[in-house]
Amino acid sequence: MARSMWYNKKMDYFMKPMLLVVFLILHPFVIRAESVDEVIRKVVENLNGNTAVMDIRMVVKTSRAERRMEMKSYSIGNEKSFIKITYPKKDKGITFLKVNKGMWQYVPRIEKIIKIPASMMLQSWMGSDFSNDDLVKESSLYDDYEHKMIQETDELYQVELLPKEDSAVVWGKIVMLVSKKYLLPTMVSYFDEASVLVRQLSYGNVRSFSGKNYPSLWIMKPTTSDKKGHETRITVLDAVFDGRISDEYFTKRALKRFSR
Amino acid sequence: MFRFAMKMAWASLARRATRSLMVVLMISVSLWSLLLMQGVYDGMTEQMINNAIRSDSGDVSLFRRGYRLDPSLENVIPDTFPDGRKVEDVLGMDGRVGSFVKRLQQNGVVATARYSRNIMIYGVALAAEKKHGQLQRYLLTGHYGFGAKRKGAIVGYRLAERLHVTVGSKLILSCQNSSSDVVSISVRVNGILKTNNMSFDEGSVFIDLDLAEDFFGVHQGVSQISVMMNEGKDIGELQLALQQSFPGLDVMRWDEMYPALMQSRVIMNGFKSVVSLIIFGVSGLGILGVMMVSIIERRREIGIMLALGTEFSQIRIMVLIESLIMGFSGFVAGSLLGWVSLLYFRSYGLDLSMFSEAFEEFGMDAVTYALIQPGYFLSAFTAILSAAVISVYFPLRIVSKVIPARIINEI
Amino acid sequence: MFLNFAFRYVLAYKRRSAITVLLGAVSTALLIFTSAWMDGSHGQLIKNSVEIYSGYIQVTASGFRENPGFDKLVFDYGSLQDQIKTVPGVDVVSPRLETFVLFSAGEKAVGGMLIGIDPDKEKRISRLFSSLKGGAYLVGTDTIQLYIGSELARRLKLDLGDELAFVGSGTDYSFAADKLVVKGIFQTGLFEFDASAAFLAKPYFDSIMASENIASQVIVLPKEPVRAAQLASVIRKTVGGAFEVASWQQTMSALLKSMKLDSVFGYITLGLIFIVIFFVVMIYTLLAVFSRVKEIGIMRAIGTTPREVLLLLLLESSFLSFLSVVLGGIAGALSAYYFSIYPVSFTGMEEQFKQYGLAVATIPTSFKPLIILRDMAIMFFLLVLATLYPIIKVNCLKPIEAIHHV
Repeated sequence: MARSMWYNKKMDYFMKPMLLVVFLILHPFVIRAESVDEVIRKVVENLNGNTAVMDIRMVVKTSRAERRMEMKSYSIGNEKSFIKITYPKKDKGITFLKVNKGMWQYVPRIEKIIKIPASMMLQSWMGSDFSNDDLVKESSLYDDYEHKMIQETDELYQVELLPKEDSAVVWGKIVMLVSKKYLLPTMVSYFDEASVLVRQLSYGNVRSFSGKNYPSLWIMKPTTSDKKGHETRITVLDAVFDGRISDEYFTKRALKRFSR
Repeated sequence: MFRFAMKMAWASLARRATRSLMVVLMISVSLWSLLLMQGVYDGMTEQMINNAIRSDSGDVSLFRRGYRLDPSLENVIPDTFPDGRKVEDVLGMDGRVGSFVKRLQQNGVVATARYSRNIMIYGVALAAEKKHGQLQRYLLTGHYGFGAKRKGAIVGYRLAERLHVTVGSKLILSCQNSSSDVVSISVRVNGILKTNNMSFDEGSVFIDLDLAEDFFGVHQGVSQISVMMNEGKDIGELQLALQQSFPGLDVMRWDEMYPALMQSRVIMNGFKSVVSLIIFGVSGLGILGVMMVSIIERRREIGIMLALGTEFSQIRIMVLIESLIMGFSGFVAGSLLGWVSLLYFRSYGLDLSMFSEAFEEFGMDAVTYALIQPGYFLSAFTAILSAAVISVYFPLRIVSKVIPARIINEI
Repeated sequence: MFLNFAFRYVLAYKRRSAITVLLGAVSTALLIFTSAWMDGSHGQLIKNSVEIYSGYIQVTASGFRENPGFDKLVFDYGSLQDQIKTVPGVDVVSPRLETFVLFSAGEKAVGGMLIGIDPDKEKRISRLFSSLKGGAYLVGTDTIQLYIGSELARRLKLDLGDELAFVGSGTDYSFAADKLVVKGIFQTGLFEFDASAAFLAKPYFDSIMASENIASQVIVLPKEPVRAAQLASVIRKTVGGAFEVASWQQTMSALLKSMKLDSVFGYITLGLIFIVIFFVVMIYTLLAVFSRVKEIGIMRAIGTTPREVLLLLLLESSFLSFLSVVLGGIAGALSAYYFSIYPVSFTGMEEQFKQYGLAVATIPTSFKPLIILRDMAIMFFLLVLATLYPIIKVNCLKPIEAIHHV
């Protein structure tokens, strides 16, 4: 013990100037290597919050028509969320529950709770350009990918996310632009395995909701030819972060109970 | 005496060489084409059956009772029955069983960034499948293996086409596991299979059995045990025996799992018999005609022979030998031709790829490898020789009515 | 004079002639019947597959057949229908809208197709109505009443009057769900179809699916179904490039190919039988001709030219061939005709057909006089050809050789 302390001290004495030099040389890289994970962690944290209650408007645009929906969403981190459709009238009261990896839906018109089967996870959520799977798995940007800083400007980080070998994500690569000011994403591009762009999600209009900066406009645009002209716009109308949300929202009973 | 008859027969055949040759030619050509037809058609049917047996059903397959109606992860064959017996042990001790493999399967979805499809996910043990149904022979591209980390997958070629993937591509598999959660894993395509068993080529992903157990959350039991028998054992007996020892399981023969294939075989056999019958019948008519004429032509000679004291039985033998020589030569030539052609088509196959698409529509291989069965030659031999024997009956009846004196005086 | 001779020869060798004629006749009958059978069974399979659901002519928005989706629908069905109706030869035009939904009954949830149809017109363009197995077919004013495939009903454990629900999406990608009641159950025999399809009357369906005046495909029934391909090309010109017009030959190309394959096997087998028959006819002719070698020699010796002998023998064999072809033709035609009216039924074999996705219980032969005449002509030609070698051979003998021929 004593011996090692002495050794350390001696090391300090001799090595400090030396280390400083090395440190100065390596500085930018070291900072990046450490912080790129940190950047993504913060981005994910900032996007989800501990808890969030949001009023959302979703506009789904196709080559033919435009459709507006409104909903209220309750979430804890990215593990649990409860969504209730409030507009249009026809769909009012449809509720969704996502707990861990399961997803359920309640439709008042047919008075039924339906578990979304595996075969439908990849299908569109409420006709939008998000899939059911996006809602369930949005979490994994931090855990499922290796992060690499590609470029850094005064305002932006450009981060490349490559899926870890074992992670079950369909993308070949994700490139994310992160605003340095807010540590929030501005643009996320999804590529397939052949590095062909499949869709782009852009975030904008950062607003302060009860003191927390949050992008209030999300635009998802598929770039494949069969989805030409499609676009989904999400506008956050109001949001409360880090408040208390009753656990009752995240049970199957809630689907029916909070439907009204 | 027999030698004499033989000599006479030869002599009369040689005298009408064109005619005799034509009969021999007729028999050999018809036999040749008949053999070809049988070998190729049988090859085709058996190939279809073989594909289904090797890739899926085995000779018999075991399922938990009720699995076929509700193929869920709850309905698995337990590793050990409540009474302590294990299916594996029972199968391993049965002398009729050549090999068996265990498979765990579940409906799921396979996805890439652009495409997704509903499929069946099979957990299999590749080494055992190799011994069992020689699954590796169906490999179109890639490797027959799941890689060092056992995270590879082998997929059907039609599925690969639809998903636009090749060897090395990443696939995401999702399914509902035993506790009803939707779970996903990523695998890489290691190999692409073409079994021509349509349900496999179009909608199957094979992964390692251990990986499947983890993925599905199934810690004991399998969905299906496919059993291959040793050569020459009775399938019905084995089925009965297994059914009796495992009342909680369904023991199904391949033809119960693929009834259409069995029907194809039955229909094909019936069809072949009808065609053979027609062909042998017509050839028989050919021999009959020639024998008839050749005997009528020789009425005078025969009359003289009878007058000189030759026994009628000798005449009969002579005529019979004549007909048999023709039949036999035709048989030998035709069999030889047929055998050689079949041998060729057995090793090189008959490429019918110009109809390939249609073939696959029916779950057939584009290249058909002919089958050669001793039965073909045996039945042809019997048929031709009986035709030869029967065809001398009428001519001989005419001759037997011959009164020597009148015949000699006739001309 | 030649004709007279020929007749007399034929009559002189009654038994041998009879066998030759018989063989020829049997071959002819066999060929005619096989053609009629193959033609009939293929026609029946196609007719079934086309008429059960898919229809003779399908009109879709351009690109839909390649890659179906709600972006490629027919968005103004009314005007498209008016355009198609102007084409002469069009009998019925009917819209369909196919959507993929999740059916749910009790604990069971099964993915399937929910299709909106015009019940009255659908009656005429497909066999949906005649495939009724229980309950009743739809009427135009039906609302939540569902007409469901037997296998799908079985999978969902549903019976007449039972309730079920579905969730899916409307053509504007909006969320769509409703409770439905089973009104009728159908069984077409197409297993896949019966296991996945269910129908609603379009007016009500449109109100849930936001699909008024929208169709995924438009089915056209021609006045003369045999002219579907020609009619399709006329419609193609009329409606323009925004639409794809496909006749059944295009929508059923795989089926057509398999029919072709089947025919190939059929004709190979037939050819095999003919080879043998060809030989036997040749042998019989040889026997017949050579038994008359002496006469021929004498004829030549007294001044008949080889050409005349050839003519005589050919005339004789043509006469025999003609006789056999006519006899065989009559027999073949009769059997083809009989089985076209009283089709052969395959009651034990549905399973096999089902696996191929074909719904057939009975197979009528096709009775087409023109095809029969064609087959007769082919056989006549073949039979005469078979006699050619012996006739030429005997004609090559010198008169002296012939006279001394033993």
